[in-house]
Order: sequence, then C-alpha cells, then structure tokens
Amino acid sequence: MSAAGRVFAALGGIALAWCLAGLCGRDIGRMPQVVRGEGALAVAFGDARETISRAFVGKADSYFHGGIDMDCGHLGHHRHDEHCEDECHEHDHGHAHGHDHEAEHETANESLDLWRWINVHVCAPQEHRHLDGEKSVELMPWLWASVKANPHNIEAWTTTWYIANNMLKDKELALRVVAEGLEKNPDNPELLICRGRTIYDRGHGDLAAAHAAFVAAVASADGMLQRGGDETDERILRARDFAQAYIDEIAKKRGPPPDAKE
Amino acid sequence: MKLFARQTCALVKLSFIELWRRNDVFALVLLGLALMVPLSMATPFGAAGASRYLDEMALLLVWGFSLFVALGAGQRLFPPEFESRTIYPLLAKPISRGRLLVGKYIGAVAASWSALAFFYVLFVASVLLRGGAFSAELPQAVVLHFAFVALAVAVSLLGSLLVTASANLSLSAIVLVGMFFFGRRIPEYAEGLNPALAWILKGIYAVAPHAEFFDMRQRLIHGWGAVDGIVFVTVLVYAAVYVSVLLLLASLALGRKRL
Repeated sequence: MSAAGRVFAALGGIALAWCLAGLCGRDIGRMPQVVRGEGALAVAFGDARETISRAFVGKADSYFHGGIDMDCGHLGHHRHDEHCEDECHEHDHGHAHGHDHEAEHETANESLDLWRWINVHVCAPQEHRHLDGEKSVELMPWLWASVKANPHNIEAWTTTWYIANNMLKDKELALRVVAEGLEKNPDNPELLICRGRTIYDRGHGDLAAAHAAFVAAVASADGMLQRGGDETDERILRARDFAQAYIDEIAKKRGPPPDAKE
Repeated sequence: MKLFARQTCALVKLSFIELWRRNDVFALVLLGLALMVPLSMATPFGAAGASRYLDEMALLLVWGFSLFVALGAGQRLFPPEFESRTIYPLLAKPISRGRLLVGKYIGAVAASWSALAFFYVLFVASVLLRGGAFSAELPQAVVLHFAFVALAVAVSLLGSLLVTASANLSLSAIVLVGMFFFGRRIPEYAEGLNPALAWILKGIYAVAPHAEFFDMRQRLIHGWGAVDGIVFVTVLVYAAVYVSVLLLLASLALGRKRL
C-alpha cells in the first residue's frame, strides 16, 4: 500500500471510531444491557443479577420447606394484608403440599417408572416440614446473597424483613434489614411499611414514629402511582392501601383530637 | 485367581501412587478451603447461627471435586499407555486385555475412593468443629457417593477409548453434571415438546447414567432420615449393572483397538 493509501486508511479508521463512539455515547443510556448498580457483580453479571437474585430467593424458599424445591414461592408471596399470616397461611400451605407429595408418591407407584420411583424415594422426604422460630436463621444467608446480587429486589428485602420480624422475632434485626434496604432503595413504600410495622408491633408505644413511616409510605406510593400513570404496579396500590389502613388504625388508637372532644 | 489378585493389587498400587503424586487432591482441598473459610466467617445481616448453607456448599464442593478426580482417573488409564507405548510390555506379561481393563479400573476406583474418603473426613471434621453432630444418614450418603464415583470412572474409561482426552472429559462432565441437576425433571421437560423431541428426551432418560440417584445431599443437610433399604439396594444394583455394561463396552472397544 502506498503512503497516501495508509494515510486514508488511518483517517478512515479514526472517522469510524469517532462515529461509533458518538453512537454509543448517545445511546448508552437506552441500551438494555446497561444496568443500574456498581461494583464487580454489576460489571460481571449485568442483568443476569436479577435472575441470580430470584434463584437465591427460591433457594431460601426451598430451605423454608425443609429442602424441598417449591415453585409456588411461599416466602416470596407473603402479603402485607395477611393479619393471620403466621397461623392461617402456614397451615393452608402445609396442608396443600402434604397432598402434593402424596400425589407424587402415588403417581410414581402407578406409572411403574423405576427411575421416577427411585428419584421420589431418594430426593423427597416422607413428611413435609417448615422451618420455624430460631431455625429460620438458616434462610438468612440465601436472602443476603439475593440482595447482594440485586439490591433492588424488593421481594428479597421484604422477605428478609418478614423472617427477622415475624419468625425470628428480632425487631432490631428487622429494622437493620429495612434500613439497609432503604439505603439501596430510598423511599420504597413496601420497605417503609415494613419499618412502620416493626415499630408499631414493637410494643414501645412509639405510635408517632410508626405513623410517620406509614405516612411516608403513602406519600411515596402516591408519587410512584403518579409517575407510573396507567402502568401502575399492583403491589404499589396494595402497599398504599395497607399503609392507609395502618394510619387509620393509629388514628383510632390515639382517639379523637382534643378539638373534636370539646 | 491368586495371580489375578496379585496383578490387580499391583495396578491398584500404581493408581494410588499416581493420584497422590499428582497433588491434584491437595490443590482441590486448598481451593475448597479458600472458598469455605470466608463463607464460614460470614454473618449475613449480623444474624449468626446459620450453618446449613455451609454444609450445602461443602457437600457441593465434595461432589464437584470427586467428579473431577474420578473423570481424571478414568481418562488417564489407557491413553498415556498408548502414547508412551508402555501398553506392549503390560500386555506381554502375559495379561489379557480384559484383565488389564478390569485391574486398571479397580485401581482407578480405589484411588478415587481414597480421595473421596479424604474429602468426607474433612467435611465431617468441619461439621464437628462448628458444633454440629454426626448425621445418621451420612454412612448411606457416603456409600451412594462411592457408587457414583465408580460409575463416573467407568464412564470416563469408556470415553477415553472412543474419543480424545478433551472431548471425553467435556462430554462425560456434561452428561454426568446434566443428569445430576436435571435428570429428575426430564419427563416434565418432555411433556411440553413435540413427539419426536419428546421421544429423544425419553430415550436419554432411559439410558443416560442417572447421577441424581446417588445424591443424598438434601437428606443430609435437612435431616430427612435414611433412605429405605430397598431403594438403597436398588440404587447400588443400578450402579453395578451400569458399570458392568460400561466395562463390557470398554472391553469391546479395547479389543478392537489396533495397538
């Protein structure tokens, strides 16, 4: 190649690089693979972190069921509006799964599939058990891994809070979890409700602090609903209703304001 | 018979020396320690007392390492003998090809079992150090794991006589790991597919080595109790039959090989 050819080739290369850089720079904010987050995990896994995070929640769910893989996601499906969540929910759930296992055993016997028969007897326990009380601490490492993989997995944060608050009965731990979650997801209404509930249930009579948390949750949910327009998440609507219910409950406990009494 | 026992003993001794001289096992133990020590120090959200996740990770590492050792041991039985032409003096002893195959297989299995026993000793020691108790299901789990290792060595041995080393290790690992994690669900996957693909999957389900039969990790971790005696024996018989078929095929492959 002649000297002039080399110069043209070099200029063409520079021009191409400049165009590509311009295109990437302009569109980088819209590229689907560019995910929020910092650190080595974000760089290495990108959006896959969300899937990994969900898998860890699934693992915690499996631990809750004594090592059985469940697709129904028991822990992830606890709802704020379940007032009898400890008793009713677990009872119903355990009952349903008990039948599932019996059915599995029956199917294995009926179909005369030797491989399935072996699998059912090696990989499935004879009875369905749930982790409860202090043993629930076994779920924490998987949930911790889940929120480390994706700090914006609100389901993982609220599940962790639920275990700390309702199963381990450790209010300090529950508040620590919520504080950490709010640090990563400022003003998230579901996490604010979790904080309010822990303070409300703590029994210290700190109704003002609980009230403030629920009011903040309602305000945050309203903001999200306004921003979301028609595409509002049902979870946010539910969270808003739930926070409002607590605000009304607190108002009832406090009684009518002094002006009203007069 | 006495001669066969003596020859087998010599081959077993050779396999032991080769495995432990290579220092693979120690490298794996160091790798395991590098992963497990930081994990054992973690206190997620400041909540101490969780230990099952450590057992799970440790057992997963034991399974992974044992597969690595078993596949390597099976792969190294014949190809190096062909390459360095030491197969000729071995067969000139005189010793038949079938006897050589069985002797070498037993040696590789024994060496892999010794490595597995070492891993389990470390696992039990780590459980006891953390204040855990010796699990009643452990003896059964170890025996089934030993059977799995025997199966993995046989798979690798057969592959080493049919394809190149890298292809054999990759294919054997894919088949065994795939079956270990997904073998149980193959019938479910087949249900949603078109008939031709479903038949292929069902064929794989019927003949592929069911590594998942030997996996008692969840029983150990969550304390489910021991497996039924009949099921336990059935799995061992399955392993014995599968290994016998693989050795028969390997013997045919070795018999037809031009040396």
